[in-house]
Amino acid sequence: MTAEPVALPDRVRTVTVRRIAVRVSTRAAAGRYVNEPPLLLCNGIGVSLEVLQPFVDALHPHRGVVRFDVPGVGGSPLPPYPYTVAGLASWVTALMASLGHTRFDVLGLSWGGGLAQQLAVQSPRRVRRVVLTATGTGWMMKPAHPRVLAKMMTPRRHRDPAYAASIAAEIYGGTMRSNPEVGASLLHAATRSGPKRGYYYQLLAMTGWTSLPFLGLLRQPTLVMGGKDDPIIPVENPLMQARLIPHARLHLYDGGHLGIVTEAAELAPVVDAFLDEELSA
Amino acid sequence: MTATTNESQAQERIDAAEDVGHDTGDELSMPLDLLLADAASSPLRRFLPGMSGVRFAAGLARHPRRVVRRTAGLGVELAKVGLGRSEVEPHAKNRRFSDEAWAGNPLFKRTLQGYLAWGEAMRGLVDDADLGWGDDQRMTFILDNLVEASAPSNNPFLNPKVIKRILDTGGGNLVEGGKRLVRDFATAPRVPSMVEPDAFEVGEDIAITPGEVVFRTDVFELIQYAPQTGKVREVPLLIVPPTINKYYVIDLAEGRSLVEHLVQQGQQVFCISWRNPDARHADWGLDTYGQAILEAMQAAQDVSEQDKVAMLGICSGGMIASMVLAHLAAIGELDRVAAYSLAVTVLDQEQAGLPSALLSHKSAAASTRASREKGYLDGRALAEIFAWLRPNDLIWNYWVNNYLMGHAPKAFDILYWNADSVRMTAAMHRDFMDLAIRNALTEAGASEMLGSKVDLAKIDVDSYVVAGIADHLCKWESCYRTTQLFGGDSRFVLSTSGHIAAMVNPPGNEKASFQTASENPPEASGWLEKASKVKGSWWEDYVGWLAERTGDERDKPERLGSEGYEPLCAAPGTYVHDR
Repeated sequence: MTAEPVALPDRVRTVTVRRIAVRVSTRAAAGRYVNEPPLLLCNGIGVSLEVLQPFVDALHPHRGVVRFDVPGVGGSPLPPYPYTVAGLASWVTALMASLGHTRFDVLGLSWGGGLAQQLAVQSPRRVRRVVLTATGTGWMMKPAHPRVLAKMMTPRRHRDPAYAASIAAEIYGGTMRSNPEVGASLLHAATRSGPKRGYYYQLLAMTGWTSLPFLGLLRQPTLVMGGKDDPIIPVENPLMQARLIPHARLHLYDGGHLGIVTEAAELAPVVDAFLDEELSA
Repeated sequence: MTATTNESQAQERIDAAEDVGHDTGDELSMPLDLLLADAASSPLRRFLPGMSGVRFAAGLARHPRRVVRRTAGLGVELAKVGLGRSEVEPHAKNRRFSDEAWAGNPLFKRTLQGYLAWGEAMRGLVDDADLGWGDDQRMTFILDNLVEASAPSNNPFLNPKVIKRILDTGGGNLVEGGKRLVRDFATAPRVPSMVEPDAFEVGEDIAITPGEVVFRTDVFELIQYAPQTGKVREVPLLIVPPTINKYYVIDLAEGRSLVEHLVQQGQQVFCISWRNPDARHADWGLDTYGQAILEAMQAAQDVSEQDKVAMLGICSGGMIASMVLAHLAAIGELDRVAAYSLAVTVLDQEQAGLPSALLSHKSAAASTRASREKGYLDGRALAEIFAWLRPNDLIWNYWVNNYLMGHAPKAFDILYWNADSVRMTAAMHRDFMDLAIRNALTEAGASEMLGSKVDLAKIDVDSYVVAGIADHLCKWESCYRTTQLFGGDSRFVLSTSGHIAAMVNPPGNEKASFQTASENPPEASGWLEKASKVKGSWWEDYVGWLAERTGDERDKPERLGSEGYEPLCAAPGTYVHDR
């Protein structure tokens, strides 16, 4: 009787909120998800929303999804001034409100995970559930190897495909070790790189930021995911987050930093299942 | 292999031109090249007089008597101003001094008259120096900018309107204006914003003619617009928009969209939406874009099941499309083009007129080198230069409105489009500069497209050429010369207004009119004598011309795209959103 569920098409546009313009992609909810909060995806540093496409495609096709290019990255113009994580979080809630979502789930990948933690503590009534993947707690965390960190300090890997291929294994780990060109094509096929300054604004926003003191205040059910072979976020970090966040659950997987994209078929159902659980009283 | 050879040759030619060309700017015109050349150099450089300044000073030194006379004249006039006997007054059309305090209040009146007399004397000095054409244009440009910048209306303490507003708002206007100033000047282009960033939303209230993206490559998306009539013309129209701005200048708000107008008149319309390139696409040159046009043509033919398309090229898109047509002629495939139209496009770049004297071979070489290092030419730098070419309209007007009065600029779709800038790849920049420096399109075989020598005379399809009479970017006389370059029958139409407003010219405007003539004599002035004025918009004339050349009517297609070209997403697509 019921046909195979089909996702509504993604709609890409530029939206201006509080005078900051960003490129946003929205997928409308369908079926039984129509009245459910959509999932907001907060991306890793320096990459545009297209990178998350494999993950979005692997989610339940009826789930509403919102993605955006951080100001100054991908197709979003550079903001006039640098911003802080807290400022960006407040702005993101305004963006979601302008899209008609006063309540939403949030998933943060890597850099976006910092934003997601900030959103969760800052807007406890707006944010229903939180998923943190391959992310840390800011400057107070088990850091990556200096060699990896040094490569993260510049956006060169997003701009130079040959360079990206040469370092992908070392910084992203997981399946990139066997196929480094996957990393290069992943970051380049669809990525639109913004100005370099956009990347540095992102770095700057996280400078000095840490979620460690407030993780105990998070009220939302939280799923912490981490790759066992992630050179950027050593596995101790998700372990620590899961211990400190009151309603947290841990899901470790065999894979690297970009696991939710490269192993989307395996990990998206985990996220779906978590988001679909009934809210505990 | 050949491509790389061509590329290095182009760069060599530009570099060589630098060596021989001292200040041969006179031979080149078309501020488009000026814009392209200047955009990569620092903003300050444009206002440094350089050698022109030296020759200016030397010119004045050679004519000491003139300088003395002019200075004395200024002294007399200033004395009259002080006594309240001066007759000097602003031009009636100059709205900046329209406030009655400028005429009624003796203090403001004296300030204004003193300024006008001084400005007049400054401008007169350029005439006194007896400079060559190039230096004259350059010094005029610099002194004009200086004089306009010093206008008392730009000063919050000398502008009565602003003083009144300070009293009304308790200084709130300056606080609000200060915030705007910081915001505008924090990021390029460092000029006052002419429109709020959220005044419009692409796909919401502009670029809204319904259609689907039916084809996407790395370089462009191809939009097919949905028919709005039961019957459509067999042969589709492919629009090749400029590469320097977003395509939606031809699809602004409802009732102001050329695309919508064409669709409603039964045309099947396809439009290219170029990707906004970045550093990774540095080596996309003329051939890349030419190849893209061929791919778009093929797609439009396949989807509409035709072996022909009609084409419309606009500005820089028209330059590339013309080269592609010459390529098609060279390989014997020109019969794929049913009719060719060009809007505000300059192919023959000789002869001067505008501040093109600012372009020298030296700056051309410097600018291509700068963009080569960066990978692209930033569209925002272009916007900045563009604004400084018309400082009165585009800078000081908004300076007063945005910063001194503290008002938000008015929402105007054309200005929103204008502010939505795009980048130009380094290779394209180099290729355009090379064409401009050698004026290569006017000479058969002087340039190449996809391996064919370009000879525009071989383009013998019927053409429709539109220009705007007040276009300061692509002078209409220069556009007119296209009719002499092509081999087929040309209809030249001269619209009212400037570069962009000439394009956005919907029917229904009482004042709209255009001129056209039955024949095209060699000189533009000769054409103008023969031309007669027609009431209405050229859009209607164009639709009639196009209908005669786009085949019979047939039932509209049942759906957009085809089996090989499944629709990917709704118009305006995704590339148009890339900043």
